[in-house]
Amino acid sequence: MSTPHPIPRLSRRSLLAATGGLASAGILSACSGAKTSGGGGATSSSSTVLLSTQFSPVEEKQRFEKILSTFVTDPKTSFNSMAMADFTTQVKSQVDAKKVQFGIAAALHGELTPLADYLEDVDSLVPDAAAAGIGKDLLALGKLGGSTQKYIPWMQASFVVAVNKKALQWLPSGADVTALTYDQYLSWAQAAAKANGKPVFGFPAGPKGLYHRWFQGYLLPSFTGGVITTFTSSEAATAWSWMKDFWAVCNPASTNYDNLQEPMARGEVLVGWDHVARLVQAPKDKPDDWLMVPAPIGPKGLGYMLVVAGMGIPKGGDVATAAKAIRALLQPKVQIEVLRQNAFFPVVKADLPSDLSAPVKMEAEAVAKQTASPKAIVALPPVGLGAKDGELAQVFKDCFREICLQNGDPKTVLGKYTATVTSILDATKVPCWAPDPAMSQCRVG
Amino acid sequence: MSATITVDTGPLARFKRRRALLQLAAVSISLFMAVPIYLIAVAAFSTRDGLNQFPQPLWPKNFGTQTMETFLSSTGIVAGTINSLIVGVSTLIVSFLVGAPAGYALARFTFRGKDAYQLALLFTRALPIVVLSVPLARAFLATGLYDTPLAVTLLHTALSLPTTILITSSVFLGVSADVEEAARIFGCTPAGAFLRVVLPLALPGIAASSIFTFVTSWNEVLGATILTFSQRTLPAQVLTSLADSPLAYRFAGGLVLVIPSLIFIALMRKYLLNMWGTTIR
Repeated sequence: MSTPHPIPRLSRRSLLAATGGLASAGILSACSGAKTSGGGGATSSSSTVLLSTQFSPVEEKQRFEKILSTFVTDPKTSFNSMAMADFTTQVKSQVDAKKVQFGIAAALHGELTPLADYLEDVDSLVPDAAAAGIGKDLLALGKLGGSTQKYIPWMQASFVVAVNKKALQWLPSGADVTALTYDQYLSWAQAAAKANGKPVFGFPAGPKGLYHRWFQGYLLPSFTGGVITTFTSSEAATAWSWMKDFWAVCNPASTNYDNLQEPMARGEVLVGWDHVARLVQAPKDKPDDWLMVPAPIGPKGLGYMLVVAGMGIPKGGDVATAAKAIRALLQPKVQIEVLRQNAFFPVVKADLPSDLSAPVKMEAEAVAKQTASPKAIVALPPVGLGAKDGELAQVFKDCFREICLQNGDPKTVLGKYTATVTSILDATKVPCWAPDPAMSQCRVG
Repeated sequence: MSATITVDTGPLARFKRRRALLQLAAVSISLFMAVPIYLIAVAAFSTRDGLNQFPQPLWPKNFGTQTMETFLSSTGIVAGTINSLIVGVSTLIVSFLVGAPAGYALARFTFRGKDAYQLALLFTRALPIVVLSVPLARAFLATGLYDTPLAVTLLHTALSLPTTILITSSVFLGVSADVEEAARIFGCTPAGAFLRVVLPLALPGIAASSIFTFVTSWNEVLGATILTFSQRTLPAQVLTSLADSPLAYRFAGGLVLVIPSLIFIALMRKYLLNMWGTTIR
């Protein structure tokens, strides 16, 4: 049992020799590695790199690389996708060191805001963007609260509700699934949970879920007409009580859901609200089983949030080449292709083609209905908060945890977090953003 | 007349029982290690539909290679693997070239501040990379090493040197000073004695310590992500992407990430015993 393994002398010698061989090979080859960015060309003068936080999932990335190599050929553009924290570090350190290795920084509005000082002014591109049909409001977001244009809008998205037709049997009588009220949405969830024996509604409240956007763009605007100014209002307390009741009939595994398309594909969740680019994966295999509908309507209207991604040029980068690539990405055919493949909507004026795949078509219709609703209240992600954006999002997540998971009293919890919101606003001194009424400095109450 | 000879079978039974229990323990420990890897492998080679079934079959019932193929054909997997191997092997070599002499000095000589030196070695691991990330990236950008495997190699070498030095020093302690003296008496130079006698004897232990170095380097994500841009190592290339990807790809990626270090450990396995054998007495 305990005989030690005899290690032959020869093998030591050969191991030593092999190590020596590897040493020279390794040290020689360490000078140059293999290139891992995909899409277009390398870093020569007629090419550029698009660094982004979007399209990181394996398949989305492959599809976007294909779009780049097909449509954006002058300059050749390669794609590099990173998590948000790495993205921020890379942009900052490369700009600071004055050795910028990428042409375009493309990310969500909220991810670009803290980087405003690291981005070149792109006012020269504004006429092109306006000519392509990008709306004034959308373009204005790209100023990041300053006076010059910091990014050009790239693509947009929103959040809608996906419904598996199986759940329609529990829909309250008289309710129109494409124009639900919050009360109907809640009683539907309650009836479904009761009839089915376990909840069928889901909520993306996982560690990486986007549920703070539900409070910022949907629940609170619909109930209160605002987010920040009405933070402690009695309507806000009603909204949070609604949330508490709704949470009681949500799938309790929701705190693990970073997104809903997978639990939906597994059949664990039949109805749920999430980002369109995520939900679009749910009906992929069986589009006939699914519906996509606008978010519910509250006492004040149909609050919905606009998600905008923009393209900026890092300070010290090759502006001319990057600008060329940005113009190429604003072409309607490229924007439509992004919608077709990755479910983000065009920001430019583009006619939606009729041959979209079923899930994308469903999604496009739901978003159009949501935007066109006479009761629509558009909400933007926080404007001008910079790095504090995440802190504000955390406030809503904390409120959710204390009210819904720990059964706190909405009024008390909201009161407790008012100080946090106030300190964030005091530190940034920004004007209010939609849906709160514009005022010189945003304040609670 | 027949005499019954009673044989005391007690010791034999005890021996057998002990062996059986030992086997049982060995088997269950192996299963503890192998079952998760097996399950990941099964999931990685299942169809996407198959993964949504409940309960999951424990054998590859819904066999399909599509997920794996898509994953392997995605940009940067091959390049990332090459980079990871370059970085892993270079780290191993550089940290050996720098760390082994330090370990030898710790083992053979007493000098003022030796204990403090040993303790101070560990301080490099006390500072989290997150804190260092931006300064590190800037330093490498300024020297032009940024975005090369060499940059990652240097960082990984710095990270693995403390363990390399401490392990090699205990390995050299295990090689008797007498044999080295004998070599000197028979005409070896100090360097010759080290290369011809001490090194071959210490090699198994050193090889074992290389497992740590290689696996540390293979698994390190944060530093590699900060110091590279378009020449990333495999974990830096795929890890963030996998976290956002559907479940199927996470299994495929998990399997691809775990296999190379398993192969490396398998190759170095027989030397591992030797390292513990000389250090723990």
